[in-house]
Amino acid sequence: MTILSQMLDFCGIERQRLRTRWVSSAEAPEFIDEINDFIGVLKKLGPSPLKNEQAKMLA
Amino acid sequence: MDYKNTLTTCTYCGCGCNFFLESLDGRLTGTIPCKTGPVNEGKLCIKGWNAHEFVQSDERLKKPLLRKDGELVEVSWDEALDFTATRLKEIQKTNGPDAIGFCASAKVTNEENYIMQKFARAGVGTNSVDHCARL
Amino acid sequence: MIDQVKQKINELLSQGSVKGVVALAYAHGHAGPCLFQKGDDLDALCLGDEKKAGDVRYPLNKVLITLARQYPDDVFGVLVRGCDERGLYGLYRLKQLEPDKVVPIGISCPRDLALACECKKPWPDDMTAGEAPNEKESGGTEQKGVQDVEGKEQPERFDFWKDQFLKCVKCYGCRDICPMCFCYDCSLECEDLVSKGDLPVDIPTFHLVRAMHMADRCIDCGLCDEACPVDIPLRLLYKKTAEVMNHEFGFTSGINKNEISPLSLMGPMPEK
Repeated sequence: MTILSQMLDFCGIERQRLRTRWVSSAEAPEFIDEINDFIGVLKKLGPSPLKNEQAKMLA
Repeated sequence: MDYKNTLTTCTYCGCGCNFFLESLDGRLTGTIPCKTGPVNEGKLCIKGWNAHEFVQSDERLKKPLLRKDGELVEVSWDEALDFTATRLKEIQKTNGPDAIGFCASAKVTNEENYIMQKFARAGVGTNSVDHCARL
Repeated sequence: MIDQVKQKINELLSQGSVKGVVALAYAHGHAGPCLFQKGDDLDALCLGDEKKAGDVRYPLNKVLITLARQYPDDVFGVLVRGCDERGLYGLYRLKQLEPDKVVPIGISCPRDLALACECKKPWPDDMTAGEAPNEKESGGTEQKGVQDVEGKEQPERFDFWKDQFLKCVKCYGCRDICPMCFCYDCSLECEDLVSKGDLPVDIPTFHLVRAMHMADRCIDCGLCDEACPVDIPLRLLYKKTAEVMNHEFGFTSGINKNEISPLSLMGPMPEK
């Protein structure tokens, strides 16, 4: 992940879009918190640069 | 031990990229593009990179196949050619020359493609001639 | 320099210490990889520099792997530059070659090529011909290409790479020519990771998957860049992974003969 996050940055995709967290199946509340936090971060970042590209390619 | 790199030209299309076919003890093991080849300068397309695979493939036909009673069976070249000529003549007579279409290929030489179109136009009498590169 | 190499090849062949020497030779006007088994055809030997430095370099380590797979008990000589020797050390580590079955014949790289490659070590440890440059002459090994990309801000950086990746025709040339790529089942052909056969490529998945696999393997030989028919600056990606590996783990592929890749470990590096 160390390498991948830096490579994503290098290619122009914000590294905050990649997240790793180990969650056990008994830790449901922690999982929910993590995902909600992640959604918050992603909303602040806005649509991914890839999304525009996909839209252009499908058009 | 016989290891060789044989400089050759790709058969797949009309570009004519140069590469080395690598062979070890009579079996082709790989393809390396020729960096000084004027057409490709060391680069190849995916077909060229895998050119070594089809040459000695077990799936290559060794004899012509003719469908008899719904099954493909091996026949001699004479039988295959006789059958083809007879049927093409029948179709030409019954349905007219435009019922026969001709598809040329980038894998053959210019001269062979010339014969193909000559056969189509002068021999059979149709101008329905096309080429795989257009598809 | 070429005479020293010819002499070494002659010695190895006449003493019978090797079954053959993998190097480059001219045939029909073009230089290509060749296996010398007799010493009398060495007039055709080429070191990899024709009109420009390094313009007829080929992945000789790949040839060695092909031979070693069929003849695992025989010893072969191989012509190596700095990068090829890094490749050999990596291949020993990855168990594709045995060090006692390979006799490297090292040559140093011409200065122009070393500068163009921004090579950290354009000479092998085991040198038959050529010299390791001294500190003053070795010039900068600043990775200007990588720095240029990092100088771009988002979204220009993304646009730059997107335009590059869109050019890709999935010829797999970068993988096929790489001297460090030897996997029978390649991840780039695994449909769970990348779509097979369709164009345009998955951006940035296709190229980043390859970059991740090259992280601890790439020897920075530049053959991938030269094999790309649409001139994607692949080398920049792999140089960047090498930089990350260096900063985070202090690891450079192929610099030390008996290294262990940090990516192959779970937990801390074992005590030496």
